Amino acid sequence: MAAPNVYRPTGFDFTNELRNNFLTQKGLPLPKATSTGTTIVGCLFKDGIVLGADTRATEGPIVADKNCEKIHYITESIRCCGAGTAADTEFTTALISSNMELHALQTGRKPRVVTAMTMLKQMLFRYQGHVGAALVLGGVDATGPHLFTIHPHGSTDKLPYVTMGSGSLAAMAVFESGWKPNMEREEALRLVKAAIAAGIFNDLGSGSNIDACIITENNTEMLRNVEMPNQRVQKERDYKFRRGTTAWKKEDVRKFVVDEQTTLIGGGDEMDTS
Amino acid sequence: MDHIDFNRLKTGEVNLGTSIMAVQFDGGVVIGADSRTTTGSYIANRVTDKLTHVHDRIYCCRSGSAADTQAVADIVHYSLQMYSQAAGKPPSVHTAAAIFQKLCYENKDALSAGIIVAGWDDSVGPSVYNIPLGGGLFRQPWAIGGSGSTYVYGYCDATYKEGWGRDETVNFVKNTLSLAMSRDGSSGGVIRMCVITKDNVERLFVPGNELPKFWEGHEVLGAAPKLGKVVPDVVPMAVE
Amino acid sequence: MTSIGTGYDLSASTYSPDGRIFQVEYANKAVENSGTAIGLKVKDGIVLAVEKLVHSKLLVPGANRRIQTIDRHIGLATAGLLADGRHLSNRARDEAANYRETYNAPPPLKAVADRLGLYVQAYTLYSSVRPFGISTILGTVDEDGPGLFVVEPSGIFYGYNGAAVGKGKQLAKTELEKLDLSQLSLREAVIEAARIIYLVHEDTREKEFELEMSWIGPETNNTHLPVPQDLLEEAETKAKEQFEFEDDAA
Repeated sequence: MAAPNVYRPTGFDFTNELRNNFLTQKGLPLPKATSTGTTIVGCLFKDGIVLGADTRATEGPIVADKNCEKIHYITESIRCCGAGTAADTEFTTALISSNMELHALQTGRKPRVVTAMTMLKQMLFRYQGHVGAALVLGGVDATGPHLFTIHPHGSTDKLPYVTMGSGSLAAMAVFESGWKPNMEREEALRLVKAAIAAGIFNDLGSGSNIDACIITENNTEMLRNVEMPNQRVQKERDYKFRRGTTAWKKEDVRKFVVDEQTTLIGGGDEMDTS
Repeated sequence: MDHIDFNRLKTGEVNLGTSIMAVQFDGGVVIGADSRTTTGSYIANRVTDKLTHVHDRIYCCRSGSAADTQAVADIVHYSLQMYSQAAGKPPSVHTAAAIFQKLCYENKDALSAGIIVAGWDDSVGPSVYNIPLGGGLFRQPWAIGGSGSTYVYGYCDATYKEGWGRDETVNFVKNTLSLAMSRDGSSGGVIRMCVITKDNVERLFVPGNELPKFWEGHEVLGAAPKLGKVVPDVVPMAVE
Repeated sequence: MTSIGTGYDLSASTYSPDGRIFQVEYANKAVENSGTAIGLKVKDGIVLAVEKLVHSKLLVPGANRRIQTIDRHIGLATAGLLADGRHLSNRARDEAANYRETYNAPPPLKAVADRLGLYVQAYTLYSSVRPFGISTILGTVDEDGPGLFVVEPSGIFYGYNGAAVGKGKQLAKTELEKLDLSQLSLREAVIEAARIIYLVHEDTREKEFELEMSWIGPETNNTHLPVPQDLLEEAETKAKEQFEFEDDAA
C-alpha cells in the first residue's frame, strides 16, 4: 500500500476557509479585530508637518482603550498615524520603521518620506486590502516636507492637508474651511487640534484626547495628550445608600480562609522552596 | 448592488471613477483628466493627478482602482528605467504600452485598471494607445476612458478632425472632459492636461470655476411661467 | 597530482594561481579546431559565411547547417562544437522570443547578445558543467542599420565591422582588414566573403568543405535568408578563379 502523501502543495492553503465558513453558518462567527474607529489628520505648514490623532480604540460598540497612541514612529523625522485595524497599523508601521532604520544604516543617509510611502504602499498592495491599515504619513527629509495618505489597498495621495478614519469627514470640514498656505506653527497646531476635536465630538468611533506631532527640519515634537477635553471629574452626586438603609434579622459570619498543616512522613528534610 | 459595478471594485477600494482622454496631433499628444478620487460617495481627493509620468516623453492616464493603477504604473516606470539603461536609448511609446498591456492582461482577474498610454518617440512621433479593462492593446488617434467617457463618445465622434494643431487639440480635450465631468457624478474637480512634444512636456491646469460651460438648462426652466394665461382662474372651494 | 598536471584545469570553477581558467582556454582550442566562420558588416547589410568541413563523403550536401536563423532579422553562425552551436542557437531563439513577448517589438541584436553573453558566462562558473566550445557570430539589420557581434566561450562579446572565428581566423581577419567594408555593397560583400573562405581553406589545406552563406539586407527585405543558389555559385566560381590566376602567375 502506498504511503500517505506527506507533502503539501506549494502556495497558500485555503482549507480553513471552508471550515470557517461552515462555523460562521452554524452561528460561530470569527472574532472581531479591534478597530481604531479613528480621526487622524496631517497638515502642511511653513516649516514642516503637523500630525494629529484622537486616542480612542474600539471593539465594535465598546471603547477598548480610552487613551491609545495612534501616531507611530517611523524614523526620527517621519511619523505615521494609523486608522483601521489596530493590530495591522501597529505591526505594519513597526515593520516599515525597522526596514527604514536598516535602509538608513545601509545608505548612510537620512531616509526620505517617499521611501517609507513606497514601502508601505507596496506591502499593502501585496496584501490586497487584507491588511486593514489606513495611514497618514508625514515627515521632513532632504527634499522638504511631505504628507501622504495611504489607503488599505495601497493607493496613495499627496496633499497639503489630509484626514483619515471614520472621523475624516468631520475633520476635513475643518481643514476645508480653515486651511491656508504657509501657516505658522501655532496656527497649524490650532487647526489640527480643531480638526481632531471635530472628530472626537461628532464621530462615534473617535473620542477621548488629542495627540499631535510637529515635525520640522531638525526637530520632532511629540505632543502626547496635548488636549484632554474628556477628563473625568468628581461626580456632583453619588448613588451610595446610607448605612442602615436595609434592616436585618440575623447575622452569620462564616470563615472562608482554609488552614492547612503539612506533616512530614519518612526521613529527610522538607524540600527547600525558598 | 445599488449601482452599476463599473470596475468590479473591491469593497472600500479607492476608485478613480474618472474621465480621462488622450489625443494625438501633428507635433505631439495632448492628454487630460479630471481630478476626482472617490471612496463610495466620499471624495477622497479633489485635486488628484491622474496623469502619471512613466518616462521622459511617455505618460499614462489612469482609470479604475487607484491602488491597482498606481501599482501598475510604478512597475512600468521601473521597467522603462531598466529598458532605457540597457538599450541606451529612450523606449518607444509602443514598448511602454506593451509592458502595460502584459501586466493588465496577465493579471486581468485581479486588476481593475483602464489605462491610456500616450507620448512621443523617435520612431513614430506622437502616439496614443488604449488599454481597456480586459488588457487589450489598441492604437488610436484619440482615446477616452473612465466612467465619464461613456457620456461623450458621441461628442468626440462628431467633433474630432484630423490635422489639428496643438491649440485646437487642447480645446477639444478641455471641452470633452468638461462635458464628461458635468454628466458623470464620479468625475469632477479640475482639469489637468499635458502637452507632450519632442522637446518638452507642458502641464496645463483648468480650475473648477473656469471650466468651459455648455447648456445648463436655466432658460428652459425659467421661461415656463412667462407663458400667457393658460390656466383658468382658480376659485377657492366653497365650504358648505 | 603530478600525473595529471597541476590540477588547475580540472574544473571551470577553479582559477590557476596566475588567474587563468584553463577550461575556458581549452574551449577556445575547440573553436580553433573547427572550420572558419566569418561575418561582414557592410553599408546596408550583413553577410555570414562558414567553411563547413565535410568529414564524410556519405553526408547529404547542405546538411548540418552551421548558420541558423534566430529571429526574422537575426542570423547566427558558429565555429566550434556543432552540438553546442545548436544548443546556443536554440537559447538565442528563446531569448529573442522572450524579448518580443515582453516588449511587443523585434529584439535589437545587442539585447540578444547581452543575454547570450550572460548565459555563456554562467557555464564558466560551475564545476558541474563545461564552457561552450564555440565562438558565435551574430548578425542583424534593424531600424538602426546593420549590426555584428561575436560571443566567445568566456561569455564576453564585442561588436565588429568584420568578424572571423575558427581555424583560419588570423588570415581571414587580415583579408577583412584589407576591405573597405563601409563602402561595399551587399552583393560585393557576398563575393568577398566567399573568396576569403576559399582562401583560408586553401591555406589550412583541409579536405573537403562546403561553403555556407547567408545575408540580411535590402535584397532580403532585411530578413535573414540563405544567399540564393545563383549568387552562391557565382561567388564560388569567382572565389576559385583567384587560385587559377595565382597558379598561372606562379
